[in-house]
Amino acid sequence: MDLAQEAQPWQRRSGPLQRLRLTSLKYLAILRVSAANNLAYLPEIVFRTLFLIVLIYVIGQLWQTTFILHNSAILRGFTVNSMIWYLAAAETLATSLPALTRRIDQEVRSGELAYLLGRPCSYLFYNYAHYLGERLVRLTINGTVAALVALIYVGPPHFTWMGLAAWPLMVLLAISIEFLCYFGIGLLAFWTENTQSFSFIFSRLTLVLGGVLAPIEIFPQPLRTLAQILPFSSMLYGPARTLVQFETASFVGLVWQQVITLSVVSLLILGLYRLATRRVSINGG
Amino acid sequence: MGRVRAFGGTLRFMGSYFVANLQAAMEYRTAFWAQIVIMLANDCLWLLFWWSYFQQFPLVNGWQQTDVVILWATSALGIGLGNAVFGNVSKLAALIINGGLDAYLGMPRYVLLHVCISGTDPSAWGDVLFALGAYCVFLRPGPLNLFLFLLLACMAALIFISFLVLCGSLAFFLGNVEGLSQQMLGALVTFSTYPMNIFNGVVHILLFTILPAGFISFVPLQLLHHFAWPLFGGMCGFLLLIMLGAAGFFQLGLKRYESGNLLGMQN
Repeated sequence: MDLAQEAQPWQRRSGPLQRLRLTSLKYLAILRVSAANNLAYLPEIVFRTLFLIVLIYVIGQLWQTTFILHNSAILRGFTVNSMIWYLAAAETLATSLPALTRRIDQEVRSGELAYLLGRPCSYLFYNYAHYLGERLVRLTINGTVAALVALIYVGPPHFTWMGLAAWPLMVLLAISIEFLCYFGIGLLAFWTENTQSFSFIFSRLTLVLGGVLAPIEIFPQPLRTLAQILPFSSMLYGPARTLVQFETASFVGLVWQQVITLSVVSLLILGLYRLATRRVSINGG
Repeated sequence: MGRVRAFGGTLRFMGSYFVANLQAAMEYRTAFWAQIVIMLANDCLWLLFWWSYFQQFPLVNGWQQTDVVILWATSALGIGLGNAVFGNVSKLAALIINGGLDAYLGMPRYVLLHVCISGTDPSAWGDVLFALGAYCVFLRPGPLNLFLFLLLACMAALIFISFLVLCGSLAFFLGNVEGLSQQMLGALVTFSTYPMNIFNGVVHILLFTILPAGFISFVPLQLLHHFAWPLFGGMCGFLLLIMLGAAGFFQLGLKRYESGNLLGMQN
């Protein structure tokens, strides 16, 4: 019996697995390099948290004043403590976004994209790994600073262990949705003169309708329902709210919303990506 | 007479740059209008937030919805005019670090003014349109009130620009302060667009000194509500102080400036 032939079924089973492992290692290496690059400029990242401190202070003051004036311990289901911790969590997510759109935009405009497409890795996954590495560093630092500010402001949080355990999954899904959205906006550079404006308005929509300035509960109807349906709430409001007030039903609902949003946005971005790469023309040189 | 002529010449110089910048920005017509519309939409989004807030919580330390409209209109017009006319000021720190002032130093015009006016931010026009629209639609001002609003916004614009000059000029002494300038700008805009009464103590003092957000939105708001000469005099005094301070600080720093020996062209 031919030994090579005997090994074939085993090889057929392990081949894709082996490829998957190697592919994962490749993207993991990109993620590590990106994180290491960002850690090299740690003082700059720490310095940039100054704006995060200002945001938490200003919005926190607004809510503290609101609680005092309404002489109430609970407003729309939030205590002062949970409101400040909610803001700290939401603003940590909002301010940790790297300048992804600008990078994609520049790569498209400068023609660097043509070289990147020739590499033995997917341009989309390369950028996702790069983004994750950068984002994880920023999330860690911003999270630490925000937690310190909130701790000084209102004391320790009343998180449940379930909320804390659910946080990484919710955040991973949220930042993946954000990645796809900003990646898509960056790809618009193939058709438009300036993508920064689109990125800017998307970030502002995320701030207002995503619940960074205040929980969505403060919006009157039908704006509240609209804000809950739109993907912005699954990026910021959902994870931050579940962290401070964990409820199994709303957590499951949020994860479903995130998975559905991720699937729909993925399909749209893949379509856009295919259209965009068809427009790449490589001239020798 | 000579000073009047020089002042007229400076205004003509600024006007020429203003037109040239606008024409350059409009070269990319779609992008130009997109930036304006998007900034307008951004400002409207903030008003939507405040409208939602006041629907649920009608009063914040005596503040009402129209007060927030005035607050946003004065800051947006001040910041918008500043960025539209003196749009290059945001690049001051980068110009200093990279030796980019060389192109201006050989020119016969006053360097700081020349640097500041040689660029514009198209999105600033979105702020200007928003401010004028919001103020006229929600407040329905009389001619005198509208004139006062425009005057105060111009003063706020000069305070805003002077503040950015001070931040950018730090690059002469500290090196790369681009990050710091951006953080300070973000903090100034954030503090300018929230009711000042929610802050107290040391922060209140800071907002009328180191981070002059109080003079960009709160003082104009008070003057538009009840005009008082002492308060107006205070705002004029602060404007004079910060403008002279910014110009002096820039001149002081300029003595430490090192040329980048860059072969550049001032377009």
